[in-house]
Amino acid sequence: MKQILVIAWREVTRLRKRFGGGASPIAVLLLLVVLGLSAAALRTTVSLGSGLYRIGVSGDVPAIQDSRFSVVEVGADEGRALLEEQSIDVLIDGSQVIYREDDKSQFAVRALKQYMEKAELMRVGNSFADEDAFPLRVGINYLNPNQPPAENLQGDETAPVTKPEEVIIPSLTSPPAPFTQVLVALLYILPITFISIFFTSSFMDEKVNRRLTILLSAPVTPFQIILGKMLPYAIFALATTALIAVLTKGNVLLALAIFAPTTMFIFAIYLMVPLFYRTFKDTTFIAMLVTTMTTAYLVFPAMFTNVNDLAYISPLTLAVKMYRNEPFGWREYLFPSLPMSAIFGFAMFAGTRLLNEEFLMGYKPITRKVADAIYLMMARVKPYLSVPMWSLLVIPIVYLTQVIFLAFATNLPVGLILGAVLIASAFIEEVVKSVGIVVLAERHVVGSFRDIFVLSLLSGLGFLVGEKLLLLISIGMVSQASVSGALFGAGLFLLVPLAAHFVFTAIVTLLTVKAKLPYMLALIIGTVAHFIYNWSLMRGGL
Amino acid sequence: MMIPFWAVVKKELTSVIRDRTIIISILIQLFIASFSSALLLGMLSLYDSDTIMKFGGAGIKIGMVGVESPLHSFVAQRGLTTVPFATLGDAEAVFFQGGVSAILVIPEGAQDTAEIKLYLPDNEAVSSIIRMVIQEPLKQYENYLRGQNGIEVRYTDLKGKPSTSFEFIYSVLLPMLMFFPAFVSGSMSVDSLTEEVENNTLPTLLSAPLSLNGMISAKITSSVIIAIVQCIAWLSLLQMNGIAIQHSGWILVLALIVAGLTSTAAMLGAVLLKDRERSQFIYSLILLAAASISTLLNISPITTLSRLAIGDAYTGGWDVALFAVVLAGLYLLLGKLSHRLVR
Repeated sequence: MKQILVIAWREVTRLRKRFGGGASPIAVLLLLVVLGLSAAALRTTVSLGSGLYRIGVSGDVPAIQDSRFSVVEVGADEGRALLEEQSIDVLIDGSQVIYREDDKSQFAVRALKQYMEKAELMRVGNSFADEDAFPLRVGINYLNPNQPPAENLQGDETAPVTKPEEVIIPSLTSPPAPFTQVLVALLYILPITFISIFFTSSFMDEKVNRRLTILLSAPVTPFQIILGKMLPYAIFALATTALIAVLTKGNVLLALAIFAPTTMFIFAIYLMVPLFYRTFKDTTFIAMLVTTMTTAYLVFPAMFTNVNDLAYISPLTLAVKMYRNEPFGWREYLFPSLPMSAIFGFAMFAGTRLLNEEFLMGYKPITRKVADAIYLMMARVKPYLSVPMWSLLVIPIVYLTQVIFLAFATNLPVGLILGAVLIASAFIEEVVKSVGIVVLAERHVVGSFRDIFVLSLLSGLGFLVGEKLLLLISIGMVSQASVSGALFGAGLFLLVPLAAHFVFTAIVTLLTVKAKLPYMLALIIGTVAHFIYNWSLMRGGL
Repeated sequence: MMIPFWAVVKKELTSVIRDRTIIISILIQLFIASFSSALLLGMLSLYDSDTIMKFGGAGIKIGMVGVESPLHSFVAQRGLTTVPFATLGDAEAVFFQGGVSAILVIPEGAQDTAEIKLYLPDNEAVSSIIRMVIQEPLKQYENYLRGQNGIEVRYTDLKGKPSTSFEFIYSVLLPMLMFFPAFVSGSMSVDSLTEEVENNTLPTLLSAPLSLNGMISAKITSSVIIAIVQCIAWLSLLQMNGIAIQHSGWILVLALIVAGLTSTAAMLGAVLLKDRERSQFIYSLILLAAASISTLLNISPITTLSRLAIGDAYTGGWDVALFAVVLAGLYLLLGKLSHRLVR
């Protein structure tokens, strides 16, 4: 523990030195200027479609203040001529709106309609008494469609409502949409990502100037080094989370509970960047990839809060619920948090195994580097233990990847979505099950037919145990998502999927190790077999 | 002088191609583009009443209880199916059998403030869709009642075509695809220069017959080449997908200038700070600041690009030339300050 604190303190001093030196006045000044300007720029609402429409106005027209429209004042006749020659899209002449029939003009009219509705509402609200300006009240009541009243209702009797009545004024109450709360929830992610980039570059810096090598020869374990270097950044990230919660009037403890696993998850992924990069450009690209993927993974599901239970994959959904003062239970909390924490644990394990000079300094193609990494993680125990453990432990990563595939696949035509997702998930499953065995065989740790058969069986078993555990957690949660059932192969009978996993893994590994086929080709063959199996299983099941 | 310059450009380009990590950057752009389109589509189908009506509006049946009023025709005009009932009890009986999705009750005797009641199923997904599609008829009815009170609301008869996709393509998707490569090329410039400094290979490079400014310019040139190749690819892909883009020549010039701006600005940071960690940090801050300032001053390259692409009558080469002037100024500044790198 003491060592960890020592390394953490060393990290803080390093940061102070780096950003406390010559660059500091410029950096601080720049930061302040940027923050001020961004806030100012955001206030003038940088909206969708900024600057797209040109509008001519003539006569008594309410002022149009919206970044989508550029307004020119024209005379009525001049305006008609400009409209005709397509220099402006719409002409507003008093209370009359003149437009053309082409798309561009029609789009402008729709955008204008949305704006004018609001502007007129303001005018009416300001110049007339409330009862006249807003004459309509609508009382909204909810009935439970699954629980009809016991006896048939007679005459004036009505069924009980499930919630107290909610009275709205239609023009002032927009229908529910989760956007704003999702944006607020996104506020939490940005600082965490930013801070973790500093964590990464600190690691890289020490790798380049070889301080890490010196540190590794000191009497501290790699685990202590990683944790120590991570500690100051993690504390800073959690402090920022608490600060945002205070500023946005959220529940601080709840926000910390929601975002602690997320912070760990993001740090875990950024820990991998300095371990695998070879040149500075690599780092830039890998960091960008990681930022995009994690943001998409976290934000996308939260858009569907209350629409689909799968939204709970993202912890942001919990944050959205927090801001809406809606309760959620332990299961909802654990559903996103467990896989993220598991990935953190896995990354810490991988980090401690990979943090050695030979691995850090070697320049090799990235695929070789990954193979080396897998070997280093598996090498210290007997293959009969390491192979199934590998298959079991990477399940959360497989699971997250499959979710990203699902998001990707929504781009495709509806008929292709299921097929594409099934192929992609079969592929990733075959990769994780076989890669350990292939790497071990390549380094001649294993080699005989017997070894490969037994290891394929064990790998399939490890994977099966992992996916059933995951299913156990998610089945109660995502009852309606039959897609996820198919993804994780919810076969009724456990021996059939085990045999299937075994066969496909054996195909891939034997083709690679014994028939000397390229690994990619073997994978494709195994994937096709796996896909056909999954497909027929679903056809039978549905 | 020119031969060593192109040798450095060639070296930078081959190293990028050899490392293959540039593919990641292209994948990211594809991901963001497809992902945001999917997101928009998803949002539209869930949260846009026009899209909902187009795909399943007639299937939504609304039970109407009470006196005949203009609201009936407003609801029917929206494309929803109305089913009249005499009492709320009758309507609820059909509701529980699944015959209607929601019930509207219009009380007898129109007063100044009409209070109608809406009964929805207690299922958030369904009820939020119904609330979205019924919003428009309710607003029309509200305007009708305002008319009864002698309040005239203007501009209520505007229709037009749904503009969200149009706005998304020209103000988000196209600028994203044209400027993201520029953003990446700036980042790459920082990497490429600071790597030479931190690995102590800079003196070797400078012992070649090439000045410091020549070396920096060569690195900027190679970053810009990589960016512009991507832009050309995206532009032709978009056009192949049937998206009309006007002034594509000026758009590419603008993309080139912006890539030059980001790379030069990034180099400026790297020359002054000399290490990757701080240079990248300052570079992102500079980008943020530049984006905010240009938006505030109303000369944002994003707006210029959108306007060029839709064929705006008042936008052309002069708007692009403005950015070229800024680039020239920034480049001169870099030339003046570059000697700080070796000091």
